[in-house]
Amino acid sequence: MTREERLERTIKIVRDCVPELENVELREDTVVNTDMGMDSMNFILVICKLEAEFNARIPNRQWTKLSTLGEVVDAIEKYSK
Amino acid sequence: MRFSSFADLFSHFAKRTPEAPALRFERDGSLQTMTYAEAEAAIAGRAEELRGNKTCMGVLADGSIDCVIEIFAALRAGMQVVLLDENAPLTLLRGLLPYTDVDMLWGDSELCEALAPSLARGVSGGEGRVLFFTSGTTSRSKAVVLTEKSMCACAYNGSTLLPLHEGDTLLCMLPIAHVFGFMCGMVWGLSCGACVALGRGARHYIDDCAFFKPTAVSVVPMLLGFLVKQGLLNDELKVLLVGAGECQEALINAVKAKGIRVCFGYGLTETSSGVALSIGDEPYAMTICPDYTLSIAPDGEILIKTCACMMQGYYKCAEDTNVALADGVFRTGDLGSIDEKGRLHVTGRKKDMLVLDDGTKIFLPEAEGALSHMLGSADFALALSAGRVTLAIYGDGRSDDELLDAIGAYQNERPIGQRVASIKRLSEPLPRTATGKIKRWELKARL
Repeated sequence: MTREERLERTIKIVRDCVPELENVELREDTVVNTDMGMDSMNFILVICKLEAEFNARIPNRQWTKLSTLGEVVDAIEKYSK
Repeated sequence: MRFSSFADLFSHFAKRTPEAPALRFERDGSLQTMTYAEAEAAIAGRAEELRGNKTCMGVLADGSIDCVIEIFAALRAGMQVVLLDENAPLTLLRGLLPYTDVDMLWGDSELCEALAPSLARGVSGGEGRVLFFTSGTTSRSKAVVLTEKSMCACAYNGSTLLPLHEGDTLLCMLPIAHVFGFMCGMVWGLSCGACVALGRGARHYIDDCAFFKPTAVSVVPMLLGFLVKQGLLNDELKVLLVGAGECQEALINAVKAKGIRVCFGYGLTETSSGVALSIGDEPYAMTICPDYTLSIAPDGEILIKTCACMMQGYYKCAEDTNVALADGVFRTGDLGSIDEKGRLHVTGRKKDMLVLDDGTKIFLPEAEGALSHMLGSADFALALSAGRVTLAIYGDGRSDDELLDAIGAYQNERPIGQRVASIKRLSEPLPRTATGKIKRWELKARL
C-alpha cells in the first residue's frame, strides 16, 4: 500500500469515528485536535481503529507526540506488525 | 473499615475473605483473578525481595498487576514510593528523580535504562510515604507527600458515604499515577473488600467495560462522555463516580436512564483525594466526608481542615507548604458555598488555572507567558469554551491559520488535550481589573 493510500484510509477512518468532521477538509498537514476539533477521547478512538485497520501498535509514549495526520500515517507505517 | 496501612488492609481481607477476588487483570488475552490471600502473599514475597539498601522506589506507573504489586510491596518494605506518569516527557522525568530522591525504578525497561543516570541516593525516613504529582501542566512540578495512613483514612471516609461490597468489581480506568485514579479507581474498592479490575490503559477504553464487567467505575467527565457516546457502559454497572469537573446534564440523564447511579466527587491531591461526594439526587450538592471540616473564607474560597487525610506537605517545598497549609487549614484555591443542609457546592476557581475534562490543570500565567513570546503584544487570554482550550483574542489582524502558525512551538510541546483547540475573536478588549488582571469569569461569560 502506498503512503497516499494509507493517508486516504486514515482520513476515512477519522471521518467514520468523528462524524462532526463531515464538512472539514482533512489533509496531510492538518493538525490533530486543533484544526480538526477532535478531542483527546476521539483521538484515542481514531488511533485504536487505525491500529486495528493496519495491524499496528503505536507505543503509548508516541501517541502524545503525534501532531499532524501525516505524522499519524508515518507512525502507523513505522509500527505496523 | 479504617485501616492504618495497606499492609493492614491486605492482611485483614486475606484472613477474613481469603478466597474473595482482590485484583482482576488481563494476561495474554485472558481474564485472570488474584484473591486477597494470593495478593497478600505476592506483596509479602516481593517486599522481602525489596528489603535492602534501596529506600525510594520510583514507579513508572502503567497500572498493570505487576505495577500494583510493586507499589504495595515497596511500601511494605519500608520504601518511599514516588508515582510517576510513564507518558511524561523524558526531560521532565529526568528532573523529577533527583528531586524526589528515587534510587530505584520500576517500569518499562527501555525507559528505566534511559533514566538510570538520573537516579539519586535515596532518602531516610520515607517509610509509608507516597508522593504524587499534582495533575498540572506547570514545569515547576511539586510532589505532594501523602502517607499510607492518610490514604487509608480517605478511602474509609469515601466508603462510609459510598460503600462497595465483596461482590462488587471496581474498574480502574484512570492513570494510577494521579491521586484520583489511585484512590477512587483502586484503594476505594480494596478498602471495601471488593474486587479491583485493572484497566488496560487508554487503548482499551473502548472495550474494558465489556471485558471486566464492572459494577462501579471512577471516571472524569471527558471519559464518561466518551463511554456514553460510544455505548460502552456495560449492563452490570451500578455506580459511576465522576471527579474533576462538571458534566452536561444530558450526559448525566443518559447514564441515569440506564439505571446507573451517578455520584460526583470533590477532592484534591493534597487531601488524599475525596473530600465530599454527592450521594443524593442533586449531582453537585456534595455531602462532606466525616473526617473533613470545611469552611468558606470571606472571599468565597473553600478551606479544608482534616487531621486524618491531609498531606504532610509539598516535598522539599516548606515555603509552598506553609502558604497552602497554614495552621492545618488548606487553602484550596476553589470557590464554593455550603448550603443549609451542610452540603458543598463548588462554584469556580480562585487560582488562575484551567481544569480540563480529564482533570489536568493548566496554570495560566505560565501558559499565557509562553504564548505572549509568540503572539507579541496581542490582547489575548486562554479560557475553556465547550470544554476546549480556547485562545480568546481581541483586535489582531492575523488569520486563524497565521495565529496557529505563530504558536506552533507552544502546540508541539504539549499533549493533544492541552493544546489550543479553538480561537475566538472578541469584539471588545479583554475584561481586566484596575490592576490589569484578567477578569476570568467575565471572559468565560463572554465566550
